[in-house]
Amino acid sequence: MSRALELAERALRFLDGEGQATVTHERSLVLRYARSAPTQATDVDDTSIHLLALRDGHTGSATTNVDTDEALRDAARRAMAAAEAAARAAGGPGDHPGLPAPPAAYDTHDGDDPDTARVDPSPGGAALKAAFAVAAERDLEAFGTWSTGAVETALASSTGMHAVDRVTDAYMKIILRDARGRTGWDAQMAVAVGDLDGEAGARRAAAKVTAEEPATLPPGEYPVVLDAYAVGGLLDQLAGLAFNGQSHAEGRGALEGKLGTRVAAPSITLTDAPHAAGTLPRAFDFEGVPKAPIALIRDGVAEHVVHDSRSAALAGGGARSTGHAATPGGDQFGPTPTNLVLAGGDARDLAALAAPIERGIYVTRLWYVNVVHPQQTLVTGTTRDGTFLIEDGKITKPLHDVRFTDSVLRILDQTEALSATAQLVGDAEFYGRRFAWGVVAPALRARGFRVTG
Amino acid sequence: MLDLLRETVERAAGHCAYAEARHVHTRLESLAVHDELVDAVDADESEGIGVRVLVGGAWGFAATRDVSSAGAEIALRRALALAAAQPAAGARPLAPVAPSTGHWESACAIDPFAISLDERLGHLFAAVAAMRGDARIIRAEAGAHMVRTRKALATSDGTAVTQVSTETGAGIEATAAGGGEIQVRTYPTSHGGNVAAAGWEHVLGLDLLGHAPRVAAEAIELLTAPELPEGRRTIVLHGEQVALQLHESIGHALELDRMLLGEAAYAGTSWVAPGDLTTALRYGSEHLNVSADATLAGGLGTFGWDDEGVPGARTMLVENGTLRAALSDRQSAAAIGLDGSGGCARAEGFDRQPIVRMTNVSLEPGAAGSLADLIADTGDGLYLESNRSWSIDDRRWQFQFATEVAREIRDGELGRLYRNPSYAGITPQFWGSLDAVCGPDEWRLWGLVNCGKGEPGQIMQVSHGTAPARFRDVQVGVA
Repeated sequence: MSRALELAERALRFLDGEGQATVTHERSLVLRYARSAPTQATDVDDTSIHLLALRDGHTGSATTNVDTDEALRDAARRAMAAAEAAARAAGGPGDHPGLPAPPAAYDTHDGDDPDTARVDPSPGGAALKAAFAVAAERDLEAFGTWSTGAVETALASSTGMHAVDRVTDAYMKIILRDARGRTGWDAQMAVAVGDLDGEAGARRAAAKVTAEEPATLPPGEYPVVLDAYAVGGLLDQLAGLAFNGQSHAEGRGALEGKLGTRVAAPSITLTDAPHAAGTLPRAFDFEGVPKAPIALIRDGVAEHVVHDSRSAALAGGGARSTGHAATPGGDQFGPTPTNLVLAGGDARDLAALAAPIERGIYVTRLWYVNVVHPQQTLVTGTTRDGTFLIEDGKITKPLHDVRFTDSVLRILDQTEALSATAQLVGDAEFYGRRFAWGVVAPALRARGFRVTG
Repeated sequence: MLDLLRETVERAAGHCAYAEARHVHTRLESLAVHDELVDAVDADESEGIGVRVLVGGAWGFAATRDVSSAGAEIALRRALALAAAQPAAGARPLAPVAPSTGHWESACAIDPFAISLDERLGHLFAAVAAMRGDARIIRAEAGAHMVRTRKALATSDGTAVTQVSTETGAGIEATAAGGGEIQVRTYPTSHGGNVAAAGWEHVLGLDLLGHAPRVAAEAIELLTAPELPEGRRTIVLHGEQVALQLHESIGHALELDRMLLGEAAYAGTSWVAPGDLTTALRYGSEHLNVSADATLAGGLGTFGWDDEGVPGARTMLVENGTLRAALSDRQSAAAIGLDGSGGCARAEGFDRQPIVRMTNVSLEPGAAGSLADLIADTGDGLYLESNRSWSIDDRRWQFQFATEVAREIRDGELGRLYRNPSYAGITPQFWGSLDAVCGPDEWRLWGLVNCGKGEPGQIMQVSHGTAPARFRDVQVGVA
């Protein structure tokens, strides 16, 4: 038995009544660099033990990273006291329907790479050297991040759940910058550290640093080619705004009254697919419910939102958890997709996407995207590290970064074509305990993209 | 614990140019309720040791939850190995700091952890009940947050200090729906409530119950309010919105690591160059006076020493609109030849290394009197309250913000309500249009607990002291 599962089962024994123990062990490395020199390097080894207690549909939780019996007993006492206090304060039953029963089995996945699980810094050092060398060849400076992690999650509950999942992830971001501040950008995300290639990534980034002075684009609506990372950035926002089963059940979601109706172009099929090729697979969510594919938008028609146990109970009508609990017992902000996959189209490459555009823009990635109006999926942000003008069907000159303010669903509704190939994209930000996620996204062309500054 | 940390640093001698060992114990409780339900009663307790070393110009930092001597030694070895695995780097001098010893604690009159859960939840439910009653309120919620952090730090420069801080806060939110529209109103801030370095007395002082009926009524009123039309207007910003404006367009822009391109790959750079620090760059109008003050009572950026052992201090960043200084740590300060660090090295917990962060970056009070005085002095304009959305580019140059409400100002009086207001601008132009700041009686500390920076990500708590302020000729109605 894994040490994490042993620990989860030991912790569970300190809980009376209905409850769940979740153990998360993280080993991770992050190497950062700027101006072609290393700047910061972080090596984390930590284990969190989360204890969830339920009382009359109310939850209480306590987390500790100390695994002595004394610490576990104290955490269990706090969790139970919290659930009991919640039940007293609310004065009636809570909204949690009870912990799920264990499934017959979990699907296996290929999201655990043994080489990556060793969490060795030496491939990182080599990747940085390779990126620095390419930068030097081009008289540029390299900036970026190399990161790898291995996370084991074990779960034991009073309903008989006993589950372990091991995942690995690797990420490298490379920004090459010239003396005048013009940048080119590349990022790679994968299950296996061996799939990161510092030199190849640096060469792709270098190709986006052009000698030409950037032009300024006035506000207006433009045809756009959004590269995979820009598409992923928008879909990340859409995940929380449209597919959160809790918000939807409360009438606050962007798909309120729209399930079963067309919300995007017929070419848009968006799935949460935890075992799809190229994604970062997971076996189960934080309630131990198996991960399984679910169609969110099929051929432009909104089909489903995602649920944890709590939001499914709230939704009623026979809704069941879809395996999207973001925390044990369900996050107070509701469930969210973690493995979005946007189906590709038939465009051969970026050039093919740009070909029909007389005058428009090509955007490599977005920055500081934030919600303006949740129900309209209206967001604002800027472009960053590579924005270009498209003229007469060709990507021509660099542009200064622009601000956009637009609805994600409107952009998807305006989508005319998608690239045949898709890639795993994500920011690898890792606030708190490492939880790697990404979007498998193709590039796309949309008729209109609203530039507001 | 200090002895163990000292021992770890002593073990590093001869293997690195600098070493520090930091122990952090964090206890956190988070409460959230809505309508008649409890959303969350979460308690989180963690501790561990982080060891950071500087070897040949490369940093290595390793964190462990094993707080024994053996655990710290293993973390030290991992940190040294990590530094050695990276490509060689040039020398990275650190600005000098005098060794410190001692203990510091933030003020806390009523220990929030000593108040029963029943009483704290009851306090939140009372405010929620006062927001409910009208069927158009589809969700009424309240939350409270309390953290106690105990730190110990030993460095190879001879510093050995301990400190304890307690942070407490709360807030409420009403969501109204009707006519195909959904609107949200919050108090006292829109980002989870106002948090201070204080105890439960801070929550009691917020008077959530007293404000709840107004919050619900305004959410309902917004449902039928007109959208704010596009145009160029005089705007008066409520103190909370001034705080976020200050945070995004001055605080982050003046982080010296960003100015030196050290954050170019993630948080971004700055429109301000290091050379601007010595050439009297014009950041805004003569009404713009900005301090960074790690000694301010109640501030979330207040401490005895930063996480490199530099004592908390007060520094003027901008005086009468002219740039004077930046936020720095020992490395960035040394990189531009400063005599000492600005004392802004802060780490989220034991498993994150110190990076340049804001302390309490504040807009100094002005001479415009009370908010009522400022409104009365404004012939035609808008009064914007409570942040709803925020976005700024990676140079902290162009921004776009939205607030929950705007009220028209006509002939010195508040008038009709507008929904979905927004405004945009360019940082130095916007601060150049600042023509009035309310006085000391209107000046408040606003605690933000969601400032993200660094890789792996770090969430930092900062406070901003502000008073309502007026800006001329601002683009509004942009979203």
